[in-house]
Amino acid sequence: MTTASAIEFAAPPVRRQSLWRSLRGELKGSEYTWALAFVVPYVGVFLAFVVYPAVYGLWLGSEPSLYPEIFSDPIYQSTVVNTLLFIGIGVNLKMFIALLLSGFFMRPGWWVKVLLMIFILPWAVPALPSFISIHWMLNGEWGLLNNLLYAMFNIDGPSWLNERWTALGSVIVSHIWKWTPFWTVILLAGRMAIPTEINDAAKVDGATGVRSFIYVSFPLLANLYLICTLLSTIFTLGDFNEVYFITGGGPANSTHVLATLGVRNAFDLAQPRLGVAAVMSALPLMIPLVIILMRKLKTSEVQL
Amino acid sequence: MANLTRRSVLRSSFGLAAAGALGRPYVANAAATTIEVWFAQGFVPEEDSAFRTMAADYEKQSGNKVEHSLTPYAALRQKEVSAITSGVVPEVMEVADFALAPLQSWDDKLVELDDIVEPVKEQFVPTALPCCYYYNNVTKKRSYYVAPMKIAAVPFHIWKSLVEKGGGNLSELPNTWDAFLDFFKPLQAKLRAAGMRNVYSYGYQLTANGVDPINTFNAFMIAYGGKDLVTPDGKLHTDDPQVKDAAVKAIVKLTTAFKEGLVPPGCVNWNDADDNNAFHSKLMVMDFDGTISTELALFHNKEEFDDILTHGMPLSNDGKELPSQVALFGPVIPKGAKNVAVAKEFVKYSMQPKVLNEYLKGGLGRWALPIPEIVNSDPFWLHDDPHRTAYVDQSVIKPTMPIYEAYNPAIAQVGAEHVVMNGVFDVMKNGMAPEVAIDNAFKRAETIFAKYPIVSS
Repeated sequence: MTTASAIEFAAPPVRRQSLWRSLRGELKGSEYTWALAFVVPYVGVFLAFVVYPAVYGLWLGSEPSLYPEIFSDPIYQSTVVNTLLFIGIGVNLKMFIALLLSGFFMRPGWWVKVLLMIFILPWAVPALPSFISIHWMLNGEWGLLNNLLYAMFNIDGPSWLNERWTALGSVIVSHIWKWTPFWTVILLAGRMAIPTEINDAAKVDGATGVRSFIYVSFPLLANLYLICTLLSTIFTLGDFNEVYFITGGGPANSTHVLATLGVRNAFDLAQPRLGVAAVMSALPLMIPLVIILMRKLKTSEVQL
Repeated sequence: MANLTRRSVLRSSFGLAAAGALGRPYVANAAATTIEVWFAQGFVPEEDSAFRTMAADYEKQSGNKVEHSLTPYAALRQKEVSAITSGVVPEVMEVADFALAPLQSWDDKLVELDDIVEPVKEQFVPTALPCCYYYNNVTKKRSYYVAPMKIAAVPFHIWKSLVEKGGGNLSELPNTWDAFLDFFKPLQAKLRAAGMRNVYSYGYQLTANGVDPINTFNAFMIAYGGKDLVTPDGKLHTDDPQVKDAAVKAIVKLTTAFKEGLVPPGCVNWNDADDNNAFHSKLMVMDFDGTISTELALFHNKEEFDDILTHGMPLSNDGKELPSQVALFGPVIPKGAKNVAVAKEFVKYSMQPKVLNEYLKGGLGRWALPIPEIVNSDPFWLHDDPHRTAYVDQSVIKPTMPIYEAYNPAIAQVGAEHVVMNGVFDVMKNGMAPEVAIDNAFKRAETIFAKYPIVSS
């Protein structure tokens, strides 16, 4: 026996794991078939309803010539500004209100629970009838709001949907009204997960009220708050319901957001590719948000 | 009884899946004479019943099966665009707006219907037929892509009781354009003095939403002599001084009424249903809106139904007859439809004068019958109901012209972008001069038209 062959014999056997084996993992025999049978429907659904629409959308908006056309649309710039305002103000104000309200709903008492139930109603009612009702409610001539103003104070209210800023403001307020309950409940759940011992210990140290919120509750909720804000931003970027049904993008196309511009281009102009391109032009904003969100979701520890 | 094992369950599952997959072609073959038909839901339930009756009669006579769905027109438009884009299309789709047929014909996405329409075209209103005859940018020629079935114009709707209450007398209603419109002007003040707080003379739709404002502006522009904005050769004539002058006059007339407070301020952001709601709430004395759906919505409320006067186009200011713009709607067959032969047979059946007449009569005449011979001979159309008489007279008997979309699909995009109404808003709210607003709108229209060159007709 040569030296070399002795070394070869002494070396531990290299385990070459085939792709097949790595796919099978530790599963043996029929376990693997069972696992496959359970996974296939989910993979199928994922491919059909997540991967396919996303890839199809990317493909529809992949033609470079669409983008100069989108950018040369006279209302594109104001649409981008509206989108940023809608998200910047709407989402942040909503989340801040939700954060405060979640603290309120932590209070003990049966009436708080009843109030919470009532508070959730705007989120629970279907969105489209709500927004159509708001559109009618804000009508300057026969809308509920102005009729109330007249009946109670004998004044004629403005035509809320006639000016860009009041119309956009109405959309933002409606968004906050509709979605604050949902995020309040999420943040309430986050608050409820904070061990009571921490708050008790803080009380012993003299941190109560606002101080307790600033130094104890908020640091513990910060990660959840950020993730919720990012998620809500992503949802809101793609949501066209508020603008579509409350202002219809009007007056004079001045309150469109990218999502409604996409709908207009796709269906009113019957140019779906142009519609997808309008929405895709939000990707430079969307992609960093998704990356930050993914990174935040990896965080497994409480950050104090 | 055999024991159920994991292996046997899996085997049976795969077996069932395979049987389903293999059985599918048989089901498809069995349904070879079934066609899928998408039509717009009616404004009144009678329209839907009339369609179902027509489809059932066809099924009885042909032995084929019609799987139909009736969808509100806005949703139908979205459904149709999505279907054509994805390639998963029904056999027959009804055109529910001004844009779908011209734009999809341009892109060669529809089946030619020349073999169906050419032999019978003489019986239809000739000025409306171009609404079915579109340019295909692939074949570089025009063909019939829509089967003519329903004609629609834009009449005036007037509350008789409000006119009387406002001190007006409808028997003295002038019949030239400006005088006709100005008749309603003083009524508002008198109605308000009589205690009606929120009442206006006019229901002009000065919004950038839907097709109503496009109809309104076009009618005003045509009334002032600007009918040649787009000509049958598909050319845009924004450089024609007469067209520009008419467009400016139209804007001035519409915006002056708004600035004088004679139009509900909310009209700048009305959606498609808002003017109907406003009119039904007696918020304005007069409305200008397509079809007689406004009246038919009150069909079962006889007192209010009878209180509305439907009025066609008055004469021009120099006493000449004004053509009403008409749209001719009907079904199309999208390319990719599985059963084109049966689809064509169904469309052909629906277009038969007798069948079509019964179908449209069943729908209370919201859509007028585009066949003058029957309109003149069947008392339903010109005698039985004063609203219908005025509307059908305007749509079928009196001078008409097709909507501009018939000539060039570019105008569909011009309309959908509401380039003119954006200018109207600037004039009303931002103090822009009407001439500047029209210049801006025409410039944008020229940019859009440059994308749709028609090389031959």
